[in-house]
Amino acid sequence: MKKADPKDQEAGDKWEVQLRKGCLELAILAALWSQKLYGLEILRRLESDSDLIVSEGTVYPLLSRLKALGLVRSEWVESDAGHPRKYYALTPAGKHRALDMSKTWASFSSSVSKLLAPLGKGK
Amino acid sequence: MARIDGDARQKIDAYLSRLRTRLRGINEQDVREIVEELRSHILDKASVGGEEVTAGAAGATLEALGSPEELASEYMTDNLLARAEVSRSPVRILESLFRWASLSIAGFFAFLATILGYLLGMSFMLCAVLKPVHPQTAGLWILPAGADDFMISLRLGFGSAPPGGRDVLGWWTVPIGLVVGCGLVMLTTRFGLWCVRQYRRSRLLPPGQAV
Repeated sequence: MKKADPKDQEAGDKWEVQLRKGCLELAILAALWSQKLYGLEILRRLESDSDLIVSEGTVYPLLSRLKALGLVRSEWVESDAGHPRKYYALTPAGKHRALDMSKTWASFSSSVSKLLAPLGKGK
Repeated sequence: MARIDGDARQKIDAYLSRLRTRLRGINEQDVREIVEELRSHILDKASVGGEEVTAGAAGATLEALGSPEELASEYMTDNLLARAEVSRSPVRILESLFRWASLSIAGFFAFLATILGYLLGMSFMLCAVLKPVHPQTAGLWILPAGADDFMISLRLGFGSAPPGGRDVLGWWTVPIGLVVGCGLVMLTTRFGLWCVRQYRRSRLLPPGQAV
């Protein structure tokens, strides 16, 4: 059997990274759907429920962008740990965007699954 | 409250101060929030179970965040892009595209096309505004250039009328200049925002793969 070309392997890895990063925004909005969370809680939620996290450093700038776009709001809350934590919550615009994105995702993933059906049979 | 050992504190402060110096162009209040949020993240992550934050735990946490330079660059670009998309202001759009231009050839052409679009649009509007001030000389002129050739020139009316030239639009310069000028600025803004979105999309690619 032909061995996988390292170049193909690399392209596959890049594709995966792209896919994860593309879904990160929706995943963050979804994590905030029913409760307010601070950055590390969002990260832990995404790590435990998915394998979307590529690097922790990408989540904080993304949160700051979502805030600038008016999709989330933030507030500082004092904690028992001795330092304040920045909590994020969805704004009405953020809820709207999350619903729109989840609808797009549902129709996109079902159409891709249909296309992929023959691959499952061929195993 | 979690205790922090001296070496850990030094490591964290050094990381955050490197980050702070690279967050140029973001307002002071936002920079303070970014730095405090990351400090809070580092302390929470490095002191699992409320134990003392050791230099080792702090180092591992900082490593997981990536280098301060990479992190600052993510903040800078995300911040610029979001501001451009929200404000739709030509200055913000050009600011974002200038950043893209410094990173790739596609960004350079997008920046160049956008700046040319704005300049041309503004020239038309300026010409319309100056027509009443310079009724004899401002406007869209056809000028002779060689034997059978001519050129079209958008003149703001400073200086004397060019010899052999003809003002094509006359007083129509005012309404046409305003409509064409505004149209060009609006189209350029739409084009600029489209480019900003392409730039954001290209950033979804892993480093080194950005278009």
